[in-house]
Amino acid sequence: MTTELQRSPNRRPLQMSQLGLHLLIAFLLLLSLVPTVIMINLSFKNGLQYRWERWNLSLPLRGSNYLSAWDVIDAYMINTVLVAVVGLAGVLILSLIGGYVFARMRFPLREPLYYAIIALLMVPWVLSFIPAYMLYNNLGLLNTRWALIIPNVAGGPIFGIFLMRAFITGIPEELYESARCDGAGAWSLIWRITFPLSLPGLATLSVLNFVAEWNSFLWPLVTISDMSKQVISVGLFRLSRTTNDLVDFGSGGPLFAGYVLASIPLVILFIVLGKFYVEGLVESGIKM
Amino acid sequence: MSSAQSTQTESAPGGRRLWRRRTVATPLSWRAFRRSWQAYALLSPIFALLIVFVYYPPILGLIRAFFRWRPGVPATFVGLDNFITYFTYAETPHELVNIVKLLIFGLFAGIVMPFIMAELIFFVRSAALKELYRLLVIIPMLVPGIVTVLLWQKLYDPYLGPINDMLRAMGLEHLALNWLGEHRIAIYAIMFVGFPWVWGVGTLIYLGGLGQISESVYEAAALDGCTGVGRVMRIDIPLVLGQVRLLAILAIINAITAFQNILVLTDGGPGFSTMVPGLTMFHSAFRAQKFGYSSAIGLLLFIIAMSGTLIINRGIRPTNEELRQ
Repeated sequence: MTTELQRSPNRRPLQMSQLGLHLLIAFLLLLSLVPTVIMINLSFKNGLQYRWERWNLSLPLRGSNYLSAWDVIDAYMINTVLVAVVGLAGVLILSLIGGYVFARMRFPLREPLYYAIIALLMVPWVLSFIPAYMLYNNLGLLNTRWALIIPNVAGGPIFGIFLMRAFITGIPEELYESARCDGAGAWSLIWRITFPLSLPGLATLSVLNFVAEWNSFLWPLVTISDMSKQVISVGLFRLSRTTNDLVDFGSGGPLFAGYVLASIPLVILFIVLGKFYVEGLVESGIKM
Repeated sequence: MSSAQSTQTESAPGGRRLWRRRTVATPLSWRAFRRSWQAYALLSPIFALLIVFVYYPPILGLIRAFFRWRPGVPATFVGLDNFITYFTYAETPHELVNIVKLLIFGLFAGIVMPFIMAELIFFVRSAALKELYRLLVIIPMLVPGIVTVLLWQKLYDPYLGPINDMLRAMGLEHLALNWLGEHRIAIYAIMFVGFPWVWGVGTLIYLGGLGQISESVYEAAALDGCTGVGRVMRIDIPLVLGQVRLLAILAIINAITAFQNILVLTDGGPGFSTMVPGLTMFHSAFRAQKFGYSSAIGLLLFIIAMSGTLIINRGIRPTNEELRQ
């Protein structure tokens, strides 16, 4: 491990301290992975294994737990993907348009309008949670998928515009000038030039938004009463309340298999777009 | 036809020479507004959604905090009654003590632990391993938040949980407690969720800040014999204060307003030992249908969180901007 260390001439080779560093990092990472490892281990156990061999690996692995789990949570998974993808599409379109308008167009009241949007980042959700519920109640949107999609499409572009404006400002002006000479209008400047060049920014935004939607819990808990429209977080919460492993050890394994299945969309997302997420956070040097 | 996007370099009527609007303050004239119709048209769907679904609810909440408000019944103005009710409620001091505990702990877990992790990764010399660690810190984020909390509930299980299994195996039977079921311990058990709190986002934000410190600063420090822990204390910490401030604000808002973990783990129990104002807000709205009272608690939490944010903004002042790249 330490053999590939770069040796710069003005630094003494501190191999022992580097080794200690790696061990410490590995230790902290392992500790933070303990619940995940326990989850995966338990997801492969049947009732007897769950009763007697909870913490060690025990063969055979019961892969059928995953089929039983999918039978119960499939609707929640599909609902959440549906709501998150539709919402995300809206967020991306509005953030791209908003980011373009604030980065590239000159018009009266541009800065006041921009700050009127950015100031909303400072309003904590506690202030709007209760009245928003009443608003959706009065509009007859409770217990519909709109109650899950609209908050994202309306609120997502706040941070999205902030992010995309910064990103689009970095696109060279010459590209826009030459397109304008060819007679391109605002619409084609957005879709033909801005969109393809701001894909990394949109990727970062997609990860942030999808993760937030996948994790949303309190809002769907109160707005959706029909379990056939419910999302994964609330679905798993209800399942964990209705399975009692002290009475029925057979329910333990499939429940944990359900937890693993619920993590898979996030794993896929991070495999595909995680690079943009890490670079977006590390290289932007975000601070206040 | 003059369209808004062409105003950046545009020939004004009358054949005057090209001028850059960028350097000129946009005049607030009716003509300027009319010429920019396209920008406003593009922004109109965004603002329509914002006004109805983002601006309106908190404003409604500010007003309805002073009303008796239930679904299906006309709201009636009650002045400060909702606030008086909350401050005279017997459990309120206890709830406030709980958020102070959560706040102190949240600042440690949200600021210090990610910093330690970021520094450890920053001191790694191999570029490849550095990048690997950067990716590995986000693995706990791949598990949905609710699953993490439900898993911790399992870890704390008095009969089937690994924590107690381990204590029993070590012969420490008397330490195998009902972690979430005892008045004195439950709030600390809730804080302990997520141990060792090496939060991926915080770590990456710090790594971003550390990466921006210019190499020449470190070279000068090394010449003066300032390395290792000394360098961290005298150079790194002062230069990541911007990141510290951001994470401090996030930690404060989270400690004061978040109650999702408590709702799932104990629902405020046993008794009222883990109640926080946010959970009382939630219960009074969705169990007791007291939406006005609930809005008042929401407003109080907003004021507390805002004051905390302002104090941090005043208290932590990033310096030495010139030492960054």
